[in-house]
Amino acid sequence: MHASTFTTTSGFLLPSVHSLPPFFTLQAACPPALAKFTDDWIKTILAYARHRQLFFLKVEDAETTGNEWDEVLKNERINRKLPPPFLEHIISTMVTRNLAVYEPAKQTRTVLLHWRLPQEWADTLHQWATDTGHLNTILTFYEITDPPVDSPLTGIPVPLLRHAIQELAKTNLAQIISIADGEGVRFFAPSGR
Amino acid sequence: MHRRRVGLAAFDSRDQARRFNELSSALSKTQVDHLQGQLAQFRTALAHFAAEHRDDIRRDPTFRHAFQQMCASIGVDPLAGPRRAGWWAEMLGLGDWQYELGVQIVDVCVSTRDRNGGIIEISELVRMVTKLRGVQAGAVDEDDVMRSIKTLQPLGAGYQVIDIGGRKMVRSVFKELNDDQTSILVVAHDTGGRVVEEDLMKRKGWTRERAHLALENMYASDGLCWIDDQDEESGRSYWISAAIQWNE
Repeated sequence: MHASTFTTTSGFLLPSVHSLPPFFTLQAACPPALAKFTDDWIKTILAYARHRQLFFLKVEDAETTGNEWDEVLKNERINRKLPPPFLEHIISTMVTRNLAVYEPAKQTRTVLLHWRLPQEWADTLHQWATDTGHLNTILTFYEITDPPVDSPLTGIPVPLLRHAIQELAKTNLAQIISIADGEGVRFFAPSGR
Repeated sequence: MHRRRVGLAAFDSRDQARRFNELSSALSKTQVDHLQGQLAQFRTALAHFAAEHRDDIRRDPTFRHAFQQMCASIGVDPLAGPRRAGWWAEMLGLGDWQYELGVQIVDVCVSTRDRNGGIIEISELVRMVTKLRGVQAGAVDEDDVMRSIKTLQPLGAGYQVIDIGGRKMVRSVFKELNDDQTSILVVAHDTGGRVVEEDLMKRKGWTRERAHLALENMYASDGLCWIDDQDEESGRSYWISAAIQWNE
C-alpha cells in the first residue's frame, strides 16, 4: 500500500496519512498510535479550516454528510469516515491545547477553531482597519463580519471578534462602544510610535 | 668435563658474535628502510589516488564499492575511523562521509518511528536518506546504509539490519521480534500492509486464536501496527506500519 497525498475538489492537499484506512479508527488500545493520529487530524483540520475559512467544527459534521467538512472527515476513495467518538476525542484535545474553544461554553459538541490565535486575529483586524481607513470611526460588528468588500475577517464569529478587540484594547488600539443597536468598536492608531 | 676455553681463541669467538650482531642489525636496517620507502611510496600513491578520486568515491556508489572491495582485498579498512586508520581516513574523508550518513540514517529512523514502530524497510530508508541529502550530496545505496549502520554499533543504540523473509529491514528500537511477528511482517509485505486473521490461518496454518493473539499483541503491546475497524470484509483488519510506503 502506498500512502499518498490527494488534492480535493476545493484544492486542499490532504496528507498521505489520510489515504490510510486505520487513520479513521480510534486506536484506543495503543496510546502512541492514538496520539500520532490525533496530532495528524488536528493539523489537517486546522489547515483545512484555514483553507476554507471555516470557524466551527461540530461532532455532528462527522455524523452527517453533505456539509462543508466532507472532504476531510470522510474519504470516499477508501470508503472510510471519521467516527464521531474519535472526532470528540480530537476536539477535546484541541481544546486542551487552546487550538479551539467550546462555543457556546458548557457543551462539548461544537468548537470555535483557532486556526489563527486571538492575538493573530487582533493583528489582522487592526491591519484591516488601518488599510481601509477605519481608524477613529465607529464600526458596528456587522460592518466587520460582513463588509461590502470581502476581507480576511469576512464571516468571523462575533465571540472571536470580541476576543480580538479585547486583545487590542489591552494596548489601547481599540475600544468597545455601546451603540444604538448593539455593540460597536473604534480603532486607534498606535500612539507615541 | 669441559674446560673453559681461555687464551686467544676466546677473544676470537666474542669478536665473531659482535660482528654477527652488527651485520644482522645492518641487514634489518636496510629492510626497515626499504619498507619505509615502500610505505612512503604507497602513501604518495594513495594521496594521489585520494586527490584524484575522492569526489568519485563520495558521489558514485559503484566506484565506492569497487574501492571498498579493493581495500578489503588488501586488508585495509578505509572506514576504520580517524583513530584507527589515521591518515588513511583523513585523506579520503570517507570516515566522515560514513558518519554523516549514519547521522542521516538516525534522523530518518527517529522521525519515522511513530509511523512504522521503529522498523523500516531498507529501500524506504535509502529513499528517505537520499531525499534528506539532496541532489548534490550524491547517491547512496543499500550497501552504504548497511555499512553506516555498522559504524553506529558502538553507540549501542540498537540499530540493526534484520532479515524478514528475504527482505532487509532496519530496526531502530530495542525490540526483539518473535517468530510470529516475523511471519506477520512477511505476510504484510505480500498483502501490502493489510493483514487479517484469515490471512495467517490460510498462509501459515495458524489457528484463529493464535492469529488473533499475535495481531493484537503486535498492535497493543508493540505498536507495530494499527487497526482498521471499518474493514468491509472482516470488520477488523491490522495494518502493519513497516509494510506501508509513504509517498509525500
